[in-house]
Amino acid sequence: MKLYKKEGNVLQIISFPTECAEKGDYLLVEDQEAGKALIAQVIDVQFAAVPGVLEELLRTLPDGGEPLQGEDIDPMEIAPHITYIQDASLLICKIRATLENDMLTPSSSWLPSRSQSTIKKLSVPMLMKLAKIDGKLPIVLGGTKDAALLTIDASSIDGTLNIITGKKGCGKSHLSKLLMVNLIGYKAVVVIFDLNGEYTSLGLTNDCKRNAYYDKIHTLTPSQNFKVALDQLHLNTVMGILVNALHLPGTSAREFRRIWKMLKEKGKLNMQELGEAIRDLNCNQHVRDALASRFHSLVNSGFFTDSPGGATLLDESLLKAREQGGAIVINLKNTSNIDRQIVVEYTLGKLVDSLSNWKLKAVFLFAEEAHLYLRETYWDDIVTRMRHLGIFATFITNQPDTIQETIYRQADNIFLFNFTNEHDLDVVSRASRVDAETVRSIAHDLPPHHCLTLGKVVSDFPIVARVRALDLKTMGETRLFFKDAGAN
Amino acid sequence: MVIEQYTITNKYNFPQPTIDTSLPWRFLEQSLYSLKQVQHQDLQLNHQTFQQLSVTEQYPSSIQLKPQPIQIKPDRQETLIAAVDTSTIKIGETATGIIVAVRGAITWRQNQTYKYTRLGPFIFHITEDNKNTVYNTLEHAYFSTTYGSMHTASPNIMQMPMRLASLLERWMQTMLAKTVIRGIILFDGSLISGTIETPTQRLREILGCARRNSSIVLAFSKATTLRANGILITEQLPSHDPPYLLETTGVHFKPPTILLGDVYVARLNKANFAFRLDIDKETPAEQRLEAVQKLLGNDLYKQSYPETLRLSHILCTFTANEVLAIKHFITRKHGIQMVNRPDMHRLLFGPFGKGEIYA
Repeated sequence: MKLYKKEGNVLQIISFPTECAEKGDYLLVEDQEAGKALIAQVIDVQFAAVPGVLEELLRTLPDGGEPLQGEDIDPMEIAPHITYIQDASLLICKIRATLENDMLTPSSSWLPSRSQSTIKKLSVPMLMKLAKIDGKLPIVLGGTKDAALLTIDASSIDGTLNIITGKKGCGKSHLSKLLMVNLIGYKAVVVIFDLNGEYTSLGLTNDCKRNAYYDKIHTLTPSQNFKVALDQLHLNTVMGILVNALHLPGTSAREFRRIWKMLKEKGKLNMQELGEAIRDLNCNQHVRDALASRFHSLVNSGFFTDSPGGATLLDESLLKAREQGGAIVINLKNTSNIDRQIVVEYTLGKLVDSLSNWKLKAVFLFAEEAHLYLRETYWDDIVTRMRHLGIFATFITNQPDTIQETIYRQADNIFLFNFTNEHDLDVVSRASRVDAETVRSIAHDLPPHHCLTLGKVVSDFPIVARVRALDLKTMGETRLFFKDAGAN
Repeated sequence: MVIEQYTITNKYNFPQPTIDTSLPWRFLEQSLYSLKQVQHQDLQLNHQTFQQLSVTEQYPSSIQLKPQPIQIKPDRQETLIAAVDTSTIKIGETATGIIVAVRGAITWRQNQTYKYTRLGPFIFHITEDNKNTVYNTLEHAYFSTTYGSMHTASPNIMQMPMRLASLLERWMQTMLAKTVIRGIILFDGSLISGTIETPTQRLREILGCARRNSSIVLAFSKATTLRANGILITEQLPSHDPPYLLETTGVHFKPPTILLGDVYVARLNKANFAFRLDIDKETPAEQRLEAVQKLLGNDLYKQSYPETLRLSHILCTFTANEVLAIKHFITRKHGIQMVNRPDMHRLLFGPFGKGEIYA
């Protein structure tokens, strides 16, 4: 390989057919005289602009369309050299760092010698060693192209905002499960908003036997084993549900606040008393109707109960998870849109409450397709205010444009699977920790189950890895009508 | 005697053992011999393609162009059309000489399909020390010993690329003349002989061989300097619908240059181009006409030039990619290092210096 050009932080390197380099590979451009080396990543592979190639190709196509047939008697065997030159490729590489005295700096301000520099491939293990991508809490994400393991440190997810995105069926949920079970393994508390009920069986292996996580997976299904009593709720949480999930207008909200305080003073804070208080309320008819309709929504959700004994599971689960680590799976499958929002509002309020009171140290929150249940104002709340309280979110989506741009800008880690659509890639490329060309070029060609890992977990060295398999009953597969048709 | 030190390995694949392949064998042998002498030297990049110029075409003043065109019609009787052309290029210079590459191509059209055989490239390092050995060995390999003594005085280094290409071209023409039966053989250039590159006897033998095999040689010149009444013969086209031939008279050259053909101007289609066409003198007039008509009926034309001959030229020409590959080959196999010394013309005259080859 030969260094051809450097423009900004982009290197162009001529590579010959025997030196196979592909997108995602790392190269070490070493200038021994300068005592420095550039670490660059291949983001595109093009044909080198070899002069005369067009003529070479054209002369085999005479008028009439059929390729010219013939024999080349090449006694000196020049033809392989012609092919060698013709197939030379141009590697477009992004400079990621400068290596000097075994120290990495994110600089690309110096120019290595074009004639004297040596260029060689940098293996992922070597890169990880140089970039110190290791740690005491390893999570093996998968295997890289050169058969090395991509291992990240669990502490690099701690306190961070993460996004897992890619098109449908490429393995996003699988990766989130992998991260999740590894975090549980390190005694972390994980809360999952499970939209499709696919995290509920993580305590089982593929052949339905109990695995090591069985006792740590707590599945809460709203209106079944997950209910709340009004007297367990803080007024702010209920107001959040009414205003944000049920869109209660301001005047009615004020009236509700008054009713709530009145019932609380009387020690009668339950659904039945609340219903009666609204019915007997002496106020504007419209306000009473508004409150009555919201009350019925709460009743119909089945999420609220007057039995305090049936409303303790979330607290119990959080308590268990705090001691030994565990995942609280909020199963939102078969839950209506409004009910989902009620449950999420309640859960987030509860978590904030627990964290504020130091009942919990921190929580890793995994949210699948969060736009379906998270109100707009909550996004910023989660990534700014709640982060300081100890809620570290991981958003999982196949529609990257449903996540606000501000979220991308603040994302610390992005786990990017294949996207074909340019618009989707444009959205993801707004993340501040990646450069747009890398995202557009590499993510476009990622095979299924391969993930481009970007950000803090890989010390800002984007690395492609095939996400490793898990012996878990994942239940994330799409149900197919014609699945067994081929067997018959 | 140095040549005997070389053993040609069997991996080199030459075609048809029935034809005389001594010349390409010697080409390879001499190529390897010459390159062995240049190992671990520096090479100044300076490639230059040589055109086969008609240096001997001093036009006789007596040329006349018959004004009445000979009308021709395509004859679609299945006839093999074959053409040959060679090309040479100077790859660069070493401290002691030059590195050149030579290649030839034969193209033929049969059953509506074009096919080709390319021979080469052969790469030579020509120095003052080895030029005699290389040239005379190749001459001797092709030419019978009877004529060998004539050419012991080998050309200067700068003429060598053309001489080597001419040798290969004549050998390939001979092979076509020997193997094509009742066909049309197209040469690039004229049928002028008696020059150092084309001894009369050699061209006579080629034409004779073709005639014995009932084939006819047609030689097309891309450019000519022949003038009638002071005007180029290819620019005196009558207002007559093509295709047609214009006959010339009075084309005689000073000895030892001998023209072995009769000169015509051929305008083969409506494109406003015409070319000088030489047809073997010994061929009866009727057969000449028949040959051109068969050519018209069996080949394609663009700009009034036979496609078979155009393909031969295209196939043997060295592209920039091939030049790079040849440099790669000599660097890898023979340890010659490329150096890029500044072009003094460019250095001294800046944008007014157009390079050494234009100086």
